[in-house]
Amino acid sequence: MHVTRRQFFRICSAGLPASSIAAMGFSPAAALAEVRAFKLARTTETRNTCPYCSVSCGVLMYSLGDKAKNAKAEIIHIEGDPDHPVNRGTLCPKGAALLDFVNSPDRLKHPEVREAGSNEWKRISWDDAFNRIAKLMKADRDANFITKNADGATVNRWLSTGFLAASASSNESGYITHKVVRSLGILAFDNQARV
Amino acid sequence: MAAAFPIDVSTLAEPPRIIAPAATLFAARARRFAQLAEDHALGDWLRFLALLTQAQHEAFAAIPPLSLPAAEALERARRHAMPPVPALHWQRDGAWRAALRRITAALADAAVPQAVRQSCARLEAAPEAALEALAGQVLRNEPYDADTALLPLVAAALQVYWTALAAALGAAHLAALDVHGLCPCCGSPPVASVVRSAPDMNNLRYLHCALCNTEWNFVRIKCAACDSTTQIAYRNLEGSPLPNAAAVRAETCDNCMSYLKILYQAKAPDGDPVADDLATLALDLLVDEAGYARAGPNLLFVSGSS
Repeated sequence: MHVTRRQFFRICSAGLPASSIAAMGFSPAAALAEVRAFKLARTTETRNTCPYCSVSCGVLMYSLGDKAKNAKAEIIHIEGDPDHPVNRGTLCPKGAALLDFVNSPDRLKHPEVREAGSNEWKRISWDDAFNRIAKLMKADRDANFITKNADGATVNRWLSTGFLAASASSNESGYITHKVVRSLGILAFDNQARV
Repeated sequence: MAAAFPIDVSTLAEPPRIIAPAATLFAARARRFAQLAEDHALGDWLRFLALLTQAQHEAFAAIPPLSLPAAEALERARRHAMPPVPALHWQRDGAWRAALRRITAALADAAVPQAVRQSCARLEAAPEAALEALAGQVLRNEPYDADTALLPLVAAALQVYWTALAAALGAAHLAALDVHGLCPCCGSPPVASVVRSAPDMNNLRYLHCALCNTEWNFVRIKCAACDSTTQIAYRNLEGSPLPNAAAVRAETCDNCMSYLKILYQAKAPDGDPVADDLATLALDLLVDEAGYARAGPNLLFVSGSS
């Protein structure tokens, strides 16, 4: 018997003929034969945070698929996390529809750009996206950064750009977002609490 | 059961942390065993277990008022997060042997195999000291051999006694232990866990004590044996005609390589952790082949040594 922090018990095919089933006068033969026809399916349940708003409800995501067999895992159901102190298993209509959000064919999976004057979205690489964002931010900041107000007091603010971050971020990424945004002088900054 | 909508989370009653066993528990379990026995490969055995749990119900109803721990002892147990009537150390009185006599007498009148009849006769003839020794074997979960046929009957009587203790104590006196995977009433490991489907505890998971039938809240997606939350998966039987094949899963933990079954009440409203566990032994056999050891016993079943 395998003993670690507590006792473990084994229920196995080899033991069944010597189990209490047989000792009490019942035959385990049919059960032992039958088990060969069954297979073991694997599912997982995973905790996560709803990405919609800063209430940050806990969700449970149910997935099918055996990682070990290299099969693609598929999320089949999402519901409120009953253990989560914020929502206690409940979800709003948007949160309750998360499964369609996850599996949506229109879901954005890579950066795209629609150039000024164009009506077409074009896929670009992450590097191109970051460079483009940085260039546009710098151009806007250089043009519109305010160092002093009308009274001559130093304000160092940048009012022509705002920043929307994600509501399901951790404390740490919230801290970093805040440092980046505020050090550039941006005042308009939201975590989608009211989107 | 559907809750009323909209649900106002702020005024929602705090869900119970600990649930004491109900007086109807054994009767409901007997019905569930009889239900699951239909067209089952182990149908005869499950029908016998229905008789055994019905006998438990009658013994439970007939049990006299038991001596309980004093208020001071209860308070001390609470303060130190220890179970007030621990399976291994509580001074059990003769009421459990009276329950055993009722059970064996009830089985003697029923249609049971000769082997069960002989076991009942052996237990009825056994001296007190021998019965206490058998009880010790059950409570310590010792590897059994020669007494394999006797131990489920002894365990049934001990369940009646401890369930009566737990019901008399009530959940109000109990507090969760530091070791969250053990019963707050008697310190035993759980037989299985149940995801409850009721307005005040919707989708919450409770571990079900193998001995005293107390239930206590335990966070979902967490190993009851090692508290790990990182490598949990759920295995269920595919291709099984069992009516509860979709309702019972094995919650496996790759951190300590153990498992415990989890019963989803939404998929089996009449489900019972003990009965549905024994009706899905096929799941145990396959999960064992996959390399996992079971983290809690079902006392009505003794697996053969291997």
